[in-house]
Amino acid sequence: MNSTENTRTEPVERDGRTEQMEIDTSAKWPLLVFFAYAIGWLIVGGALELAAAIQLHTPTFLATCEWFTHGRLAPAAQNALVYGWGFNAAFAVGLWLMARLSATTLRHGGWLFIAAKFWNTGVAFGVLGILAGYSTSFELLEMPRFVVCLLLVSYALVGVWAVTTFSIRNTENVFATQWYLFGAAFWFPWLYAVAQLMLFNAPVRGVLQPVVNAWYVHGLHGLWFVPVALAAAYYLLPKILGKTIAHYYFAPLAFWWLAIATAFAGGSRLIGAPVPVWIPALGTVANFMLVVPVVLIGLNLFGTLSGRYGALNGSVTLRFVLLSMLAFVLGSAANFAFSFPGVAQVAQFTLLSGLRDWLLFYACFSTAMFGAAYFILPRLTGNEWRSPALVKIHLGATVLGVVLLTVGLAWGGWSQGRMLNDATLAFTDVSRAMTFWFTYRTVGLFVLLLGHAAFLVNFAFIACPFNLSGAAPAQINPPPALEVLKA
Amino acid sequence: MKNGLVLFFGVFAALALSWAGVLLSASQQLGRLGQFKDPTDDTIYPQPLSGLANQGRLVYQDLGCVTCHTQQVRREGFGADLARKWGQRGSYARDYIRDETVHLGSSRVGPDLRNVGNLELHPGADADYFYKLLYAPTSVAPGSLMPAHAFLFDVHPVAGRQPSASALKLPSRFAPGPGLEVVPTARAQALVAYLTSLKDTYDYPIERSRNAPAAKPKEGGH
Ligand code: HEC
Repeated sequence: MNSTENTRTEPVERDGRTEQMEIDTSAKWPLLVFFAYAIGWLIVGGALELAAAIQLHTPTFLATCEWFTHGRLAPAAQNALVYGWGFNAAFAVGLWLMARLSATTLRHGGWLFIAAKFWNTGVAFGVLGILAGYSTSFELLEMPRFVVCLLLVSYALVGVWAVTTFSIRNTENVFATQWYLFGAAFWFPWLYAVAQLMLFNAPVRGVLQPVVNAWYVHGLHGLWFVPVALAAAYYLLPKILGKTIAHYYFAPLAFWWLAIATAFAGGSRLIGAPVPVWIPALGTVANFMLVVPVVLIGLNLFGTLSGRYGALNGSVTLRFVLLSMLAFVLGSAANFAFSFPGVAQVAQFTLLSGLRDWLLFYACFSTAMFGAAYFILPRLTGNEWRSPALVKIHLGATVLGVVLLTVGLAWGGWSQGRMLNDATLAFTDVSRAMTFWFTYRTVGLFVLLLGHAAFLVNFAFIACPFNLSGAAPAQINPPPALEVLKA
Repeated sequence: MKNGLVLFFGVFAALALSWAGVLLSASQQLGRLGQFKDPTDDTIYPQPLSGLANQGRLVYQDLGCVTCHTQQVRREGFGADLARKWGQRGSYARDYIRDETVHLGSSRVGPDLRNVGNLELHPGADADYFYKLLYAPTSVAPGSLMPAHAFLFDVHPVAGRQPSASALKLPSRFAPGPGLEVVPTARAQALVAYLTSLKDTYDYPIERSRNAPAAKPKEGGH
């Protein structure tokens, strides 16, 4: 029995509805809290991001208020989205996947409430700190130092839980989803702590600071957001399609190769920068090496989907996951392209360099989380999604927004780079020409925000404990964990 | 793969290798980089920032100017930074050892600022110009997308007192109104001291090779 389980190439869960129900019951409240925070930040961050985007073509917008000057608003928005939406969503989805695949219930869930509270207090203070003028101006590390401990401690509470769940697993089989989650759970705190130490506690000198910053930013995308997205995709595809992962024997190789090469690829952000040349060169080589795992993961995921594209019609989750997978390939291709000096020379410092990170963080990671949320929340709450129309709006807006922004930022960014590299064109002329693309970007972000609002409303319905639709098949009592919160 | 321990060590090793390989070895190499004493005039370069300019660096940081501005000049043959007069040469790692925090930047919504205080490259880019640019960007750069930072200035009535010597001389279209004057706050003064300090004029003989020969083979390729 065990030997067959070990070679299974699909997410194996203990069969038996009751056991799964038990896991979901134990996980319900903590995960709903994480989801609620995540979606709240998605809206707040999206609104701030939209305001910052408007400022690029209408510089007078909110310019009189120091708290909302573009140089503060833009990083505040970014941090709210990354640490607010991104991390809470990853916690919720990651914990659920880990519990289901390790076939253990969530124990001592009360700690997770505390972790959620601390984490989000930290992010809120961090974002306010940036707006109030305590920004460090290091990309994605802008939050003032006083929130760092809070974030690390609350992360530890969540991370320890994920690792414990994994180590007390009741299954023989360790599925690909678990490797990615386990890896990400370790990589993030390490990246974050090292970056904090090397930039603030014992600051390194000179241009080593941007090297550390690049290493962190690249790691955050490639070793935290992408692994969590892949974890969700490896779980959801076979689950929904009811089949095994195609070419699963490639998966371990792809995992290790992806991890090692990504860890070295950060230097590729510094092509042409005044740093020792071997740093960008090493990053470039790592980016070339990444072609292999991306192809292998593509074989796994698209191979699983192949011949079953009809199933897309029936499943919102599947459509979000497909979008996420396409973005993963595209984002990896963008990193690859940026490794060529001829491309970097034009694309650096433009809308295109923003697009590269956005593809991985938003188009790949966030859409995977949306897909996972549509799968998990009905199981967690025992309710149905109240409004299929809102689901359609969310999906439609996301697809439209992602397509609009990908095409627009690529096109606009490339022409921006071409203009910047043409010294006969005055800078003001470049700005004037870019006004169109900045406006376009605002439109794209607005479309996405509409989708997020639809998601919020639907989430409020499904998560509401007083669901009046009467569709709830299993009335679940709040677990004792809740008492910890009240105490 | 079912062994948790193997997974743990592998995951650990992947990042440890990159940390040691990239960050530690770069730290070894860059840690040795020191100031350079010019043999002809016995001066040490790069010269440290003045106290006021160093405070200005903090203002630059808290206002997030790095969101739109880079501070790195790419060498000849890689972009048009030199042709745009953003520097007289590509930046060297050594230029940055005077800065406590280094913000190379990753977006050029605005121009590069690494040499914005170099009057040879930007005649007229003096303190007065920077104040006006910060208070009302369109008064010096019509149609500019640079946001105004008017909150770095105090606007007082002139009536009944000596007009301030540091009041901005603005064209009437941008002035706040008759009887009012615009005076830079201490933060604005620090920031402007920082901006005027931004210039890498000295070309280190020991670094020059990094710029020129590296550019040569590239020129052939493009
Ligand atoms: C929204 C993006 C943005 C932000 C934030 C921003 N700038 Fe600018 N800045 C610009 C643009 C665009 C220009 C180009 C103006 C023009 O068209 O000539 C510019 C021009 C400048 C110039 C003149 C450069 C030259 O070569 O003439 C200086 C100096 C400057 N900015 C300093 C700052 C400082 C200091 C801050 C932070 C307080 C800052 N900027 C914040 C966009 C920005």
